Amino acid sequence: MMGTTIIENGIVKTLCRMCDNRCSIDVHVRDGNMVGIAPGEGNPSNQGRMCPRGGAALDMFYHPDRIRKPLKRRTDGSFVEISRDRALDEIAEKMLKIKDRCGARSMGIWKGEAVGFLQQEEYARRFARAFGTPNYFSNDSACYNGRFMGHYLVTGFWNPFPYYANADLILLFGTNPPVCHPPFMAEFADAKANGANLVVIDPRLNPIACYADIFAQPLPGTDGALAWGLIRHLVKAGEYDHRLIEHHSIGFEGVVDYAEKFTPEYVEEQTGVYADVVVNIARLIIENRPKVSFYMGAGLEHHDNGVNNIRALVILSCLTGALDIDCGLTWPEEMQRNKLTLYDELPLEGKKPIGADRFPVLYDLRKECHSMTAMDYMLGHGDYPLKGLIITAANPAVTNPNTRKVEEALGSLDLLVVNDLFFTKTAGRAHYILPAASFLERSEIHIDIKYQRVYLTNKVADVPGIQDEYMLWHDLAHRLDFGERYFPWRNETQVNRYILEPSGIGLEQLQAHPEGVQYRPLTFKKHLSRPLPTASGKIELASPYLKNLGFAAIPEYVPPYHLRERSGEYPFLLTTGARKTLFYHSRHQNMEYFRKLHPKAEVEIHPDDAAEPSFAVAS
Amino acid sequence: MNVVFVELDRCIACLSCEQACQFQQAERNRGWSPNIFVNVDIDRRRIYAGTCLQCETALCMEVCPVSALTRDPETAAVIVEEEICLGCGLCVAACPFGYMQIDESLGKATKCDLCGGNPRCVQMCMAKALHFGSINSLAELKRKQTDLRLGLRAVPYDEDDDQ
Ligand code: SF4
Ligand code: SF4
Repeated sequence: MMGTTIIENGIVKTLCRMCDNRCSIDVHVRDGNMVGIAPGEGNPSNQGRMCPRGGAALDMFYHPDRIRKPLKRRTDGSFVEISRDRALDEIAEKMLKIKDRCGARSMGIWKGEAVGFLQQEEYARRFARAFGTPNYFSNDSACYNGRFMGHYLVTGFWNPFPYYANADLILLFGTNPPVCHPPFMAEFADAKANGANLVVIDPRLNPIACYADIFAQPLPGTDGALAWGLIRHLVKAGEYDHRLIEHHSIGFEGVVDYAEKFTPEYVEEQTGVYADVVVNIARLIIENRPKVSFYMGAGLEHHDNGVNNIRALVILSCLTGALDIDCGLTWPEEMQRNKLTLYDELPLEGKKPIGADRFPVLYDLRKECHSMTAMDYMLGHGDYPLKGLIITAANPAVTNPNTRKVEEALGSLDLLVVNDLFFTKTAGRAHYILPAASFLERSEIHIDIKYQRVYLTNKVADVPGIQDEYMLWHDLAHRLDFGERYFPWRNETQVNRYILEPSGIGLEQLQAHPEGVQYRPLTFKKHLSRPLPTASGKIELASPYLKNLGFAAIPEYVPPYHLRERSGEYPFLLTTGARKTLFYHSRHQNMEYFRKLHPKAEVEIHPDDAAEPSFAVAS
Repeated sequence: MNVVFVELDRCIACLSCEQACQFQQAERNRGWSPNIFVNVDIDRRRIYAGTCLQCETALCMEVCPVSALTRDPETAAVIVEEEICLGCGLCVAACPFGYMQIDESLGKATKCDLCGGNPRCVQMCMAKALHFGSINSLAELKRKQTDLRLGLRAVPYDEDDDQ
C-alpha cells in the first residue's frame, strides 16, 4: 500500500483539511496503514464531531488516481515520467529564460484553495516576491476577497465568525450552513434553543429556512437594496446605536441621504421581497438589537457590486450596535508571528501587477492580482505578456469564468507547471505536472481567529517521492539562487518554529495540545479604549480611501447586470452558487462514494419554468 | 440500553448522518442503504430524522420466521444475521416506523446496529442533533429545555449529557 505512516499502530491527532473548517480528527493507524478517521475532542470549533467529507479523507489519500511521479508533456501532448530533480532543473531554467526575455513579472504564481491558507499561501507569495514578480493569483479573487474587502473597508478588520449562540437574532444572507460552515450548525441550534430569532435571506430555499421566522427570497445580487431599505428603516425610526455612530463613525450624513430612496416599495421593486416583509425584518432587528448576528455568505460576493452590497450590510450591522460584541462583528486579535510574505523586505514598486489598474483596491488590500484579467495577459492583450505560471492546488480550467478562454490562455503559455494530487483539467494543459502532498502528509500551523487559537497539524504519513508544498518552493528557490537567502529552512518543522517565534508559544507546546492553544483571551468592546484599525480609527460608513481613488465613498447600490439589461432572448437566470455538502468547491469530484451519491451534474429549476416549451429536456 | 436518538429541533437536514451510514455500510460490504433517515418537507418547512429505536419488544424480531434477528450481546441492538436472513421482508412489514428495510443489492434485511457501540452518524452530526444514550436522557433533555423555557428553573443545565 502507498505511504509510510509515522507510527505503526495507534492514533495520530491532527486537523482535517477536506475543507477549511479544520476540525480536529483522530487518524487511526493499524499495521502501518491508516484505517479510519474519527472526530477529535477538545476543539471548540468542531466540538467532538465531524462531517462525512472529512471522514472519507483516507479515500483521497489512497486514491488510485493520485499522481505519484512528476510528468513532462511531450510534443505530441502525451506525458512521460521524469525525475523530480530533472523536472525542477528544467522548470528553473525555463523560468530564467522568461525572466531574461520578458522580465520577472512575466511569470505568475497561482495558489488554489485546496492546499489551504496561512503558511501555504505565504510560501507562494514569498516565492513570487523573491523571484521578482508581483503577479500572485489565487482562488480568492473569485471568492473571499469580496467579503474581506466589504468588511475591512468599513471596520478595518474581517471576522465573519461571531458567537452565534449568544445572539438574539441571526440573519443569514446567501449562505447554507451545512454546506458552507458545518461547525456553525451546532451554534445555530444552540441559538435556537436559547430562543433566538432567525431570518434567512437566500434566492434558494434550503432546509435551514425551516427554522426561519422570516425567509425572504431576493432576486440574485440585489442584497444591497435590501440592506439599504433596512438601514433607512432604522435611521427613520431613530433606532440605531447613537453613541457608536456619533463617537465612533464617520460619514453618517451621507448614509442618511443615500438611504432616502430605499423605501420598502422601492426595495420590493428591486429585490422582489415584499415591502411588508422588509418592514418586518427591520422590526425584528430593532427588537433584538444589539444582539444581532449577520452572516454574509459567499453568495453575495459572486455578483457585480458584491463588495458594496456587503459593505452596506456591515454598515447596517454597525447601526444595530453589534460592533465588537461577542455575537456581532467581533474584532479578532492576531497572533504575534513571523510572516513569510516579504512584503516589507521587497516592496516591488512600479511593476504593474496584473489587474491593479482596474482593481486597485484588490491589489492594495490583498496584494493579489486579478485572475480573470490574467487570461488577457496570457493571450497577449495585456500591458505586457504573462508567459509562465506555476499553479498549485488550483484548477482554473474548471473554476474560473469563461472556461474556453481560460483553456486557450493556459494553452498559450510557454511554461505551465501544475502541482496537484490528481490529473485535473488544468494539469492536462501543463508542461510539467508535479505530485502534491495531501494534508495528511504535512505538519503546519493553523490559526482560528474566531477562538484565537493556534494549532499544529501532525503529519500522519509520507508517500515516497512526494514532497510537501514547502519543499517545492524551497527546491525551486535553491535552483534560482534565492534559496539560501529566502528559503533557508530545511523543512516545514523549521518553518513552523520560525513562524511561532514571536508568539511565545513553542512548537512542543502545540505538539502536546493537538486540540489547540488559545494565544490570547477573547476580549470585546475594544473600540471604547482604542481606535479601530481603519485609517480614520473609526467606522467608515463613507470611505475617504475609496473617494480618493475616484469611487463613491458610500456603498451605493447598483442593480445587478441581469436587471440592468433584461433580456428577452435569455429570460432565465442561472446561478451556480449552490453546493453539495460532500464536495468542496471543485474538489472531491473523483471520490468514489461521493460520486455514487451524486453521479451526475444537477440543475434545479422551477417546475413551471421547466414546463416551458423552450426547454429541451435531454434524457 | 443506549440508542441513537434525535433532538429534533436541532436537525438542519444536512444529510450527513445518512451519508456517513451509507459509507459505513459500503466499507463493511453491507450494501448501500442508509439506516438513518432524514425526511424534509420543504414546502411545509418540516424536518424529521429518525432511526431504529431498538424496541424492547421488537416486532421485527418477533415475526422473523427463521430467527435471523437477534440481540447484540454487547450493545443490545437488534442485529441481522445475514447468513440466516431469507430476505422475505416480514420484518419490514412488522416495523411500525419503516426503520427496517431490505437492501436490494444484498437481498437481506438491513437496519441500524449501532455500529457496534460507537454510531458513526452521531460522530458525524455537527448540529449535535444526534445523541447516543439511554432514551430517558432524551426525556431529561427535553424536560430541562421546557423547564428552562418556562422559567421554572434558574440554573442552566450541564451540556454533557450524551456520551
Ligand atoms: S467540516 Fe468536514 S471536511 Fe471540513 S474540516 Fe470538518 S470534518 Fe473536515
Ligand atoms: S447529521 Fe444531524 S443535522 Fe444532519 S441530517 Fe442528520 S440528524 Fe440532521
